[in-house]
Amino acid sequence: MSTGPQFDSVDMMLNMGPQHPATHGVFRMVLTVDGERVVDVTPHIGYLHRGTERLAEVESYGQVITLFDRVDYISNLNNELAFVRAGEKIMEVDAPERAQYIRVILAELNRVASHLLFIGTYAIDLGAMTPVMYCFRERERIENLFEHVTGARMMHNYMRIGGVKSDVPDDFVPWVHRLIGDVRKGVEETDKLLSTNEVFLGRTRGVGIIDGPMAVSCGLSGPSLRGSGIAYDVRKDDPYEIYPYLNYKVPVGENGDCWDRYYLRVLECYESLSMIEQCLNQLPDGPIMAAGRRIARPPAGEVFSHSENPRGDLGVYLISDGSDKPYRVKIRPPSFCNLIGLRPMTIGSYIADAVAILGSLDIVLGEVDR
Amino acid sequence: MTEQDPLAGQPEAKGPEASAEKPVRHGPPIVVAEEQLNERGEQTAEQLARTLGALALDAAGRDDTPWARVDASQLHRAAEKCRDGEMGMDMLNLMLAVDWVDRIQMIYVLYSTTNNRKAILKADLPAEAPKISSVTDLWEAGSWYEREAHDLFGVEFPGNSDMSPLLLYEGFEGHPGLKSYPLNDYEEW
Amino acid sequence: MNVTLSDAVDLGIRLFALFNVVALGAVSLVWLERRFLGRLQGRPGPNRVGPFGLLQPIADAIKLMSKEDVAPGSSQRLIFYAAPILVFVPAFVVWLTFPLARDLVVRNMEMGLFFFVAISTLSIVGLVLAGWSSNSKYAILGGFRAAAQLVSYEIPIITMILVVAMLSGSLDFVSVVDAQSRVPFILVVPLGLVIFLIAGLAEVGRTPFDIYFAESEVVGGPFVEYSGAHWAIFFLAEYVNTFVLGILGALLFLGGWRWPFGENLPQLASVALLMGKAYFIVLVIFWIRGTYPRMRIDQLMEVAWKWLIPLSFALFLVTAFQLKFEWPWWILTIMSLAILAVPVLVQSQKQRNPALALAARYAANAVVVEAKPRPSPAAAEDTPPATSETAEGTSA
Repeated sequence: MSTGPQFDSVDMMLNMGPQHPATHGVFRMVLTVDGERVVDVTPHIGYLHRGTERLAEVESYGQVITLFDRVDYISNLNNELAFVRAGEKIMEVDAPERAQYIRVILAELNRVASHLLFIGTYAIDLGAMTPVMYCFRERERIENLFEHVTGARMMHNYMRIGGVKSDVPDDFVPWVHRLIGDVRKGVEETDKLLSTNEVFLGRTRGVGIIDGPMAVSCGLSGPSLRGSGIAYDVRKDDPYEIYPYLNYKVPVGENGDCWDRYYLRVLECYESLSMIEQCLNQLPDGPIMAAGRRIARPPAGEVFSHSENPRGDLGVYLISDGSDKPYRVKIRPPSFCNLIGLRPMTIGSYIADAVAILGSLDIVLGEVDR
Repeated sequence: MTEQDPLAGQPEAKGPEASAEKPVRHGPPIVVAEEQLNERGEQTAEQLARTLGALALDAAGRDDTPWARVDASQLHRAAEKCRDGEMGMDMLNLMLAVDWVDRIQMIYVLYSTTNNRKAILKADLPAEAPKISSVTDLWEAGSWYEREAHDLFGVEFPGNSDMSPLLLYEGFEGHPGLKSYPLNDYEEW
Repeated sequence: MNVTLSDAVDLGIRLFALFNVVALGAVSLVWLERRFLGRLQGRPGPNRVGPFGLLQPIADAIKLMSKEDVAPGSSQRLIFYAAPILVFVPAFVVWLTFPLARDLVVRNMEMGLFFFVAISTLSIVGLVLAGWSSNSKYAILGGFRAAAQLVSYEIPIITMILVVAMLSGSLDFVSVVDAQSRVPFILVVPLGLVIFLIAGLAEVGRTPFDIYFAESEVVGGPFVEYSGAHWAIFFLAEYVNTFVLGILGALLFLGGWRWPFGENLPQLASVALLMGKAYFIVLVIFWIRGTYPRMRIDQLMEVAWKWLIPLSFALFLVTAFQLKFEWPWWILTIMSLAILAVPVLVQSQKQRNPALALAARYAANAVVVEAKPRPSPAAAEDTPPATSETAEGTSA
């Protein structure tokens, strides 16, 4: 950093957000800058606090699913999956196999869509304007499929405790096969354009480094944690649904810098696409809802279940008092925890790096503030 | 509508106010789930019991996640033992406060990235002026969870230097996470 | 000096024509950029206003002009409103000396190259003043970035202009073009055009050097507080400057209106030839914009001071030797290519190859999770076993 105070100088407070193009929503960080260097950063969140957890206490279990759609509005299906899994656990029902496959296919597709959004917006953060178009083109294909299957492009309300709302349309399997081919091509195109671009490398490699122990202590998860070399993936370490029956790889980074966090997401896109392919090949026939599914009053008790969201470890702590509404729903928001790592990553970097680092964490403010 | 909502066939389901007035519940009686640990959970429970020793007031668990209740004053010690002992709980996965009306319960979900095991610590706080020592010095993640619990439940965390509002705005009155906080008739600001 | 009325009228007509040509050129660039980037990004670009969306810039202009002009209450009003003009005027004044064909010029000067350098530098003042007078932190950061960036990149640009002047033995644009009638300077000093283009990109502030008004960092930098017509002036100046870069590149390196057809072209054809070359350079600039992310301020400085300036001085020296000892021109080509090879080799060793290796390693070293055989009581008959044939298509 600076070689010492040769001049009388005052650090400048630079308020980034809540209205700033690079904060991905209503996030605000107050940077204390010395010239172009960031001396300190104070994140401020809560601009989007809707009290989701408290609201869930007065909604019936079926209605809470719609709230989860709105928690992380980029990966809605993953969020629904997280809640219905917690609900299934507390109600002690198991979704039929076909429903589980459908849910995993959709969740993985949503993961790809979410990662595509990340790649595109991250490129925008760094000043490249083309990848976002490629990414949105592919994302659009996925959203079209979602619309076809669930009837909505974003707020699906498709999964149910014990299964899914309705069976997939007849042309689902060929459609997804076609989709995978298209999306894979699109991801490859973007990957080639951006990942090893000289300027992109210069902006992301060695920037925003966080080491493994610090990342774990901050509670980072998902690609942000794996970038630091900790191979923690809920799908692998606490397998759920039909993930144990799939072959896949969990890419792990080495340096914990922005490029690692970025590139792991690119690799995850390929992995997810291959997982979907396997799911399609295995997709069984059968019912899509568990038999005794009119249970809306689970036994009193509490469960903690978590699943791998595109942003990391999305946990749901569900407490039931035996009534038809959850007594307490607590979400473990991966973006929220990833954001805790912002400060150790950013201090000492440049202003432009602060943008790159924030982008590499891939936060969704709906989830951070809930 | 071919699909069936989980709520279908239960028109008598009402809000909490209604059920509070009418203690007679319709539908099935409340069943308390029997908590059972699986094999992996048993192992973790043993570790947890070894680690905490006499600190654990009671313990049980569900599936692979055992929990132990400790006294609020001993929570920091218990958490430190979990982190540094054989369990190696290096990640504070989740921390939440639950308003049980007569008490506030703090729940700490710990995770070990090295052993891939989860365990839960619980501590009961009085409903009036809840206070528990901060775990920020053990896990960085604690700081924001504690600020959130402070915002929403009014729990004090001595040891956490920064307790400014996180999710609420400066000067917000009340603790909206509490069951006693009115849900619909709040003041517009 | 006796100025007759006819001289004044003549000058007036020329200036009027020039103003219109330049404005039209800039506006055409706005359209071209949006269409070209659209095609690059797999979308149509503006295509609703007029045929092929040709009237889109006019619609934009009307929108901008009809917007409310807001100035921050705490701004230095006089400077705040003067700054756009300080940026805009130099961008137009340099056109006085640019010949579009042999005799198609407002005022040909013997010191044309010098005039260009002297005038174009002035626009820095406007940017810094715009940043300062807005009384906004983003604006002042942008203003300082602009000052640092533009001053640094003046040096390589001026050195390249000097090299061209040495090769042609004149500071007069027409003589420079004449000197290229047989061999354009791009063949003599390919490195010159490379340095000129890179430094020019930085001078104009286009990707990857759009640092001083970086949208995602300083939210428009010096322009952040401007709106409506004042912002439109900055916007127009940016495109005029881009056009200047194209014309200058065509004149100095691509042989202007002479190469490859020699002197015999009719005037209209020479203008078309020059414009074609200029638009080619501009398209390359847009192409770069569609491809590259933005650099960081320290990397920007590094490129200027560690690479461009030493390289341009080296080229300057080599050119001087070539002229002194009267070597054939292709010797200079080889030497300048050799100089160019140095940064290319060094840089590719430094960043890209390790990254490619790392990417391959990440793809290969991922933690492999093997599928468990699926317990198949129900659906054993029609689904294949869980081990899948798709595993080989997984990684990058």
